[in-house]
Amino acid sequence: MIKFSGVNKWYGEYHALVDVNAEVRKGEVVVVCGPSGSGKSTLIRTVNRLEEIDGGNISFDDQDIHEKKVSLNAFRSKVGFVFQQFNLFPHLSVLDNITLSPMRVRGMKRAVAERKAADLLSRVGLANKAQAFPGQLSGGQQQRVAIARALAMDPPAMLFDEPTSALDPEMVGEVLNVMKSLAQDGMTMMCVTHEMGFAREVADRVWFMDAGKIIETAEPEAFFLHPQHERAQRFLSDLRTH
Amino acid sequence: MFDVLRDNWTLLLIGQYPHGPIGGIIVTILLSVSALVIAIPLGILVALARISRYKVLRAPATALVYAVRGVPLLMVIFWVYFLVPVLTGYPVTGFVTMLCALVIYDSAYLGEIIRAGIEALPKGQTEASRALGMSYLKTMRAVILPQALYNVVPSMVTQFVSTIKETSLGYIINVQELSFAADQINNRLLTKPFPVYLILALSYFVLCYALTQLAHYLERRVTRKRAGKGNKMRPGKERPLLEAAVSEH
Repeated sequence: MIKFSGVNKWYGEYHALVDVNAEVRKGEVVVVCGPSGSGKSTLIRTVNRLEEIDGGNISFDDQDIHEKKVSLNAFRSKVGFVFQQFNLFPHLSVLDNITLSPMRVRGMKRAVAERKAADLLSRVGLANKAQAFPGQLSGGQQQRVAIARALAMDPPAMLFDEPTSALDPEMVGEVLNVMKSLAQDGMTMMCVTHEMGFAREVADRVWFMDAGKIIETAEPEAFFLHPQHERAQRFLSDLRTH
Repeated sequence: MFDVLRDNWTLLLIGQYPHGPIGGIIVTILLSVSALVIAIPLGILVALARISRYKVLRAPATALVYAVRGVPLLMVIFWVYFLVPVLTGYPVTGFVTMLCALVIYDSAYLGEIIRAGIEALPKGQTEASRALGMSYLKTMRAVILPQALYNVVPSMVTQFVSTIKETSLGYIINVQELSFAADQINNRLLTKPFPVYLILALSYFVLCYALTQLAHYLERRVTRKRAGKGNKMRPGKERPLLEAAVSEH
């Protein structure tokens, strides 16, 4: 469903993505992990073109996303994206955060959009927070609202860019639980995360990145028990020693 | 001082109206308000052009900002005064001349204020909105400008206050505003310049002070609303943004 073919990206002299070839299949949950600076976030941000690439191509549902005829805004509305810093709109209530793009991009009627937002909020366990403003919510609650906001566009795939890294430890669980239930419902997901418990339990495959390359692709059990690559072994043992 | 005020208050308030042209403090207010109302949308355009990635938009906006910043308002007034009649072929009134000059001046300054407001927002706000499929214009209108404009209200009030004071330069091209009226009174009384100009100074002060207070009140209301309907914020916890603007005047 999301296919990278020979993807390259430079930041000036720095080669951020090096010949990335990989695919996220429909209904699959892929966890991307690796040391910081390895290109994980850059890779996930190329999928909805928050980062442009310098070589190769990326296709979504067999459609090259860089083709001229592709409407960028229409395409982006089909890919849910969840940020590390939540990025809720602080001047809008939780309800308005969620109904904004269905109404502005899809032209949905307010009543319909609000009903849908209410459903999504109860799905992420925040039915009673519709009228709150983001500033009144905890980090975990904000991130769950951000997930609901992304889901409001009915995206066939969801991208998560370190969704729990900015959270206090006791709030990580509530966000991961929402992500787990999404995975169980068959959502196609690509997650950059350091939550190895989540990867083990939910992921279908793990991609390990280092220096802009995907150097290992494996099922979670195999990856955690018998990492093949020396860099992956070192990464995992560093994680375990903490 | 009170007898000067008693004998001349209508002139200070509305000029010679209804027996002559309208003037006085009414014209001062009218001039500043219309200048601001026209300059805010233009300032937004200047700000968007200044941060545009297209040079055709960026270059003229930058030129305008640098030109206006580098020249006294009085020069702008003279240029408009002599140039607009030549360009349009019609004589224009002092009021229109002054309005044009203020709009040019304010849209450049407001443009810079608004640009600062836009650039101070975290990049994630634009990214989140664009990631939801919102276009550049929708993102600006629904996500970026509401936050940026709100955040720069104190600077915009400062700019508005200086606009009110700058309308006094209209005196030079015979715009019948407050200073003009005061000067007329002084010329007639001849012996009482101090009370006359004290009244003038106080009038400007009261006008500007009332305005900052109003803005202060509005800002607190918005802050309260955003903190939630129940107002869970402890009073005095946050220093109101406007204090800075008020204390400058």
